[in-house]
Amino acid sequence: MKTEKGRQSSVFRGRLFLLLVVLAYLVLAWYNAPAAFHALRRGGLLLLRLLPVFAVVIGLIATVNYFLRPALIVRWLGRESGLRGWLLALLAGVISHGPMYAWYPMVRDLRSHGGRDGLVVVFLFARCIKVPLLPIMVDSFGLRFTLVLSGYILAGALVQGWLMERIQRN
Amino acid sequence: MFWSMAPLLVGIMGLVGLLETLVTPKMLATFFRGRPVADTLVGTLAGAAATGNPVVSYLLGGELLQQGISLYAVTAFVLSWVTLGVIQLPLEVEMFGVRFMVLRNLLALAGTMLIAVLTGLTVQVLS
Repeated sequence: MKTEKGRQSSVFRGRLFLLLVVLAYLVLAWYNAPAAFHALRRGGLLLLRLLPVFAVVIGLIATVNYFLRPALIVRWLGRESGLRGWLLALLAGVISHGPMYAWYPMVRDLRSHGGRDGLVVVFLFARCIKVPLLPIMVDSFGLRFTLVLSGYILAGALVQGWLMERIQRN
Repeated sequence: MFWSMAPLLVGIMGLVGLLETLVTPKMLATFFRGRPVADTLVGTLAGAAATGNPVVSYLLGGELLQQGISLYAVTAFVLSWVTLGVIQLPLEVEMFGVRFMVLRNLLALAGTMLIAVLTGLTVQVLS
């Protein structure tokens, strides 16, 4: 768990990063104003599109903090979680929506409550399977490719999670 | 906790807008040369550098296949579009630390290339 000082320096770094991005926009606007406005519009639309995802993430963080005691999280996603933990991480990765970084705050929260790093890796890699986009993948690459790739993604996620745990242990 | 990360998240989204404008799918397609091994690496790196909805990677991947680019390269491109993200590295470091970020991304990089090759081979065998 981060200390108050750590949290403040994290906020400072975030603001500094945002400032650098704003500067990049200003530089682009200086040389190519239409491109800068186009980029700003795309970024704004992305933010709007992600608002529901952020709402879900905030809701989940609140739920985790309010209902799930650390002991329960450790039992489900911690060292002793066993097969259930692996399957939960895999399922959560497959059904989660939106870009990976939108889920980072929730994953950090779970990690700080005792969630295993291996399961985090499984969750993040299993997100390659985008259930709502599967029909488009089938249309672009065919059903055979989609099924084979999805199978390898699930297996690959588990292998990576297992490797992460081995590396962490050593 | 979430709100303390808001400036970084907004910054990432601003950067995504910039990249989507400056690095077009057409530009990414020019990196492929039609050599399976090199293209698999290029596909992985191009996917990691690109941002946006994965649908774009599917559509672009379909186009690349029609242009004769290998299935290995296209699979690596589609996979790394989601699993690897150069743009989100600062946020990943901030959230999980440098060690975790490096390990996760190395595993994802190796996993992406291996899965791309295995998928290409399996689809060929099944065909």
